Amino acid sequence: MEGLRRRRLGFLEVLAQSVAVLAPTAALVTVPALVVAAGGSLAVPAFAGAALLVVLVAWCVRHAARRMAAVGGVYSYCARGLGPVPGVVCGWALVVAYAALAVSSCTGAALYAVALLAPGHHPAAVALGAVLVAAGAGLVTARGVQLSARLVLALEAVSLTLVLVLLGALVLRGGTPAEGARPTGAVLVDAVPSAGGAALAVLLAVTAFVGFESSSVLGVESRRPLLYVPRAVLWTPAVGGVVLLLGASAQVVLLREAPLEVLLSGAPLDGLVRAEAGGPLPALLDAAAAAAFVACAGGSVTALVRVLFSMGREGVLPRTLGEVRESTGTPVRALLVTLPLVALVPAVALLAGAAPRAVLSGAVTVAAFGSLLAYALVSASAPVLLHRIGELTPAALLGGVVASASCTALLVVAAVAGPWAGGQSLALVFAALMVPGLLRVVWLRRRHPERLARAGVYDEPTRRSVLRAEP
Amino acid sequence: MSDRGLTGRQPGAVQNALAVLEAVSHAGAGVSAREVGELVGLPPATTYRLLNLLVGEEYLVRMPDLRGFALGRKAAGLAGGAPEPRLSRAAKEELGRLRGALRVGVHLVVFGPTSLHCADVDPELPLRDPYLLERHLHAGAAGRLLLADQPDWREVHPPSRLVRLTAETPVRPHQLQARLDETAERGWAAQAGEVHDDVACLAAPVRGADGALVGAVLLTGPRQRPPLEHLPAARGCAAALEPLLA
Repeated sequence: MEGLRRRRLGFLEVLAQSVAVLAPTAALVTVPALVVAAGGSLAVPAFAGAALLVVLVAWCVRHAARRMAAVGGVYSYCARGLGPVPGVVCGWALVVAYAALAVSSCTGAALYAVALLAPGHHPAAVALGAVLVAAGAGLVTARGVQLSARLVLALEAVSLTLVLVLLGALVLRGGTPAEGARPTGAVLVDAVPSAGGAALAVLLAVTAFVGFESSSVLGVESRRPLLYVPRAVLWTPAVGGVVLLLGASAQVVLLREAPLEVLLSGAPLDGLVRAEAGGPLPALLDAAAAAAFVACAGGSVTALVRVLFSMGREGVLPRTLGEVRESTGTPVRALLVTLPLVALVPAVALLAGAAPRAVLSGAVTVAAFGSLLAYALVSASAPVLLHRIGELTPAALLGGVVASASCTALLVVAAVAGPWAGGQSLALVFAALMVPGLLRVVWLRRRHPERLARAGVYDEPTRRSVLRAEP
Repeated sequence: MSDRGLTGRQPGAVQNALAVLEAVSHAGAGVSAREVGELVGLPPATTYRLLNLLVGEEYLVRMPDLRGFALGRKAAGLAGGAPEPRLSRAAKEELGRLRGALRVGVHLVVFGPTSLHCADVDPELPLRDPYLLERHLHAGAAGRLLLADQPDWREVHPPSRLVRLTAETPVRPHQLQARLDETAERGWAAQAGEVHDDVACLAAPVRGADGALVGAVLLTGPRQRPPLEHLPAARGCAAALEPLLA
């Protein structure tokens, strides 16, 4: 993997990549309300279940991450474990997921920035903002990943503290009960969901964690990949899970007592804060959310171009995607190909009349489908990889089987039994986006099996790093 | 989550880790995790954890097939400093030829895994202070060849050791990084006024057959610019020394 800046990033930079894409602040302001709407009384258990599942997947990813460093990240682990065909399917699912996540976070950043600057309904402004955020994320990614790690971590720390303190204060004060005959959020919060609804709720809760694995794409660029990447991949969802569970539980308590409109507004946390606290707090919340979404956009684009770069280098995708700009060591060709898509999809959707919140939640749901498919495959691949190198333990086997089976079951139930508005239609969108990748796999298998066999190249120890190469 | 997870309170863990390191060293490159476990007599899960820990810390490396292990470059660092220089007569003659042809100091430096040693200093135009070059790898041209050759120079020469010798010495990591990038790109190193205010130097690497850095021909002169006009001569001498040193 020549061309990328090798071994430059410290642990903070690697951690920041995972944290930025997981984007706990952005997740806290958007996801809990969606989970409540889908899962009703099972919202908090759905969050806990999603957290457990994701930590289990992270544990499986960690097995591979401790043993190989690769630009493709989870895609490369999967290709080395299960073989090239499932590997490329996993890789394409990740490409779809990271692209969808970039789309949703560009939209989210624009949405909250517009809410901060000019409250009201301005779809054109949001569309323009999304394009600007995408361009900015592209510029930062082109400059090199080292630019913003500390900034991202500091921003997340500040904004998470802000949101958690706000929520804590609101819960302690007790919400404003809805007046008179107005229905409260309890109608939805206490509703018993169908099986499909519950699965969709878990799927939506998983969206809060999507991207925790993205630091694995920095395998070649981090200073001690076999140490930093597994650490970041496991700790980000573990600590994030606790924070998100706290934040989601507080929101559920508040939304039960608040008027139903607040829950249905699409931005319930904003509504709650605006109703309860005046002054600069709502504006601060908007600014924190916008910043978190900007970081998430940058992180998603970083991960997206590295997976594409890896596939380009291997010949799985056109080789031109594997080109690197000399001066910065960034995969600039992959960036130029993807950035217009990331910018134009939300802009076109918004200008065509889609509600910004619908674009945001729709894209993030597609990202969850892609990630879950990738998680199912990589969890299954970890025990296979360990078996192949003779290091399988019973615990690793059990973890891989349970994680993979749970991800698959969740994916199927959410796609088949989920409500049409949230689950099934977006499952179709996801399926359609998977088609080009699947066609490519079929074509490669028929015409260029040798290129397919290269899938999942990893960073081999160079002769220089071995003290004695001969026994 | 901290790097200091291992305190002095787990002697068993330290002993086991050292036993694993020793087992890999004795068994030779390519030994598998299961074989290490059998050699050390530890349960498989413990062996795998220790192996992965040592690989993460780069005392060991995984072989390209991911199955086997070998000692890493950090283990080499444990073995100590620069090799004892024993120059052949042919190497001395080669240096003498260059000294006769140039009017700058011509020295030979040899590299250990993480250190350098001034093996043969020009008797007519000696180095003002060989110790400075050996200790402050970031300042001199030869030291930069060594640092530019590392996957991560910070492990060999931590940023806390970026001492200011003159006003020109790079003392910030990014300044040194820029110079090392330049060095790696052109394949030779040069500096002016970064070790002593009025001395410039140029270093051409001597590499072994596998590309490993074994030494450098170092030219020094009391001037404001590196003696670039002698670069071809220095590289020629380095090429001639290759079979004699490697």
